Amino acid sequence: MSGPLISLGCDVGAAFTKLALLGPDRLLGSRVVRTTGRIADEIDGLVGALVAEAGVQPGDLAFVGATGSGGAQVRLADFYEDELTCVAAAVGYYLPDTELALQIGGQSICSVQVNGDGEVVSFGRNDKCAAGTGRFLEMMSKRLNEPLARLDDLAARAAQPRDVSSQCVVFAESEAISHINAGVPVPDIVAGICGSIGRIVASQGRRARDARLFTLTGGVARFRSVVRVVRRRLDLEYMPFPQDPQLAAALGAALLEADDAPTPASAPGPGPGTAPPDGEV
Amino acid sequence: MFYLGIDVGSLTAEAILLEGTRVVASATIAALANPLDSAQEVRGRVLGERGLGPVDVRYTISTGYGREAIQTEGIAQQNLSEISCHGYGAWCLQPRVRTVIDIGGQDAKAIRVDERGGLDRFAMNDKCAAGTGHFLEHMSRTLEVDLDELGPLALSARRPVRMTSRCTIFVETEVLHFLQRGRTRANIAAGVADAMAERVSALARRVHPVAEMTMTGGVAKNVAVRREVEKRLGLPLAHLRFDPQLVGAYGAARLAARKGVDRLAARQEVDR
Repeated sequence: MSGPLISLGCDVGAAFTKLALLGPDRLLGSRVVRTTGRIADEIDGLVGALVAEAGVQPGDLAFVGATGSGGAQVRLADFYEDELTCVAAAVGYYLPDTELALQIGGQSICSVQVNGDGEVVSFGRNDKCAAGTGRFLEMMSKRLNEPLARLDDLAARAAQPRDVSSQCVVFAESEAISHINAGVPVPDIVAGICGSIGRIVASQGRRARDARLFTLTGGVARFRSVVRVVRRRLDLEYMPFPQDPQLAAALGAALLEADDAPTPASAPGPGPGTAPPDGEV
Repeated sequence: MFYLGIDVGSLTAEAILLEGTRVVASATIAALANPLDSAQEVRGRVLGERGLGPVDVRYTISTGYGREAIQTEGIAQQNLSEISCHGYGAWCLQPRVRTVIDIGGQDAKAIRVDERGGLDRFAMNDKCAAGTGHFLEHMSRTLEVDLDELGPLALSARRPVRMTSRCTIFVETEVLHFLQRGRTRANIAAGVADAMAERVSALARRVHPVAEMTMTGGVAKNVAVRREVEKRLGLPLAHLRFDPQLVGAYGAARLAARKGVDRLAARQEVDR
């Protein structure tokens, strides 16, 4: 095949569907939309729009990789890979020295230990319980009548975060409601919930052995107040994921096949994020 | 002689007034914000029913949420755990009972009592809403079926659905999917009862349940959950012929009566 290698990753998650269009050395475009019951039909249109917007000819698209709990619905896909394999590939590419990724999705928390080649060494997955997952934030967003995207800004304004003691999302919701009824300021409640999520994520991370550097991926990793708590509670050095962390699995799906069948001319060069700045996402 | 048991829960508060060991008044109210207010209110109800005042009660025991504060405030002379009260209450109602499964709004307990109604061992879940009354409440809301109708509806199911999740939140999503796919509410309600019974049975197995076994708390009224628990544990659930939500308050009252009698005997001992 001729021309630069361009690939697309589709991550159909429990809450959101993420698309990443990857060029030889940079992200050409992305989409994040809510996963609906009709997502299988919507994806074709989303892909078409994304590709057109990036000025890519459909024939230049080398492959489409699908992942996520709903990844099997991507009819355009050339292959399907497990979400954690994809996250590991993305972490290996953008942060080659980072040994641990904590992936916080809409319905699960996973820890993935990654080697320098972006392969999964070991992993842990909690998808049995909504505690610590994005579902917690979604529930609060509904309850507080605040858009999900605004919750992090609200949490940043907290004067005195009000802890929720229950891990269970159902019990924590009751606690949060009694806080609301008792007149606790909303930012303090949201910050308390972010703290609770951060603690649960950190305890998942503490099980990893022999890791020195860690990163956070998945939609919840966009919440600075969650990231702050995880960093404080984990005795590891934090490496911010240099792209939107919610795109990590989609990026990995776009990277995988390229790694499997590299040709010197078309293999992706070092990404922009190999030497990420230190700091908050 | 009058004795009083007060049980303040997360959703409701109950009181039982005994004359000797006979129930002469009982009351259930929706819990108020402060457990002390709940205790005072529910005590007023049962005493008012008999035209009595607090001074007429020889001994009062509090249990449940805020039971210590209720004692500190002088509303009760003593406080005891819900585990002791439910275990003893069920045993008083049916002395062959050795295993009590108590499912409250926010927790679930499996209790083994000895041949005198004393606590032998217990297991408790107050960390996860699955297997508590909260679970059924959520599902009743999602299915738009009254909590009281959930059990009979589930029994009418012909092809129950099967839930794959444990977590209340995830089962709720499954329920929505089943509704979207046109499964009947009866079949879904049966799947809900099944999932509930699975969590309850897992808890009960931790105390190695033995006959006779019974169930207390609001969920005991759900016939489908009862049947599935019986099936899973291979033991029938004895009927107590008593409102299962009042068993905690009844146990507290019976323990108060025992305490009152002991104290009377002790005083007579001293007098002699």
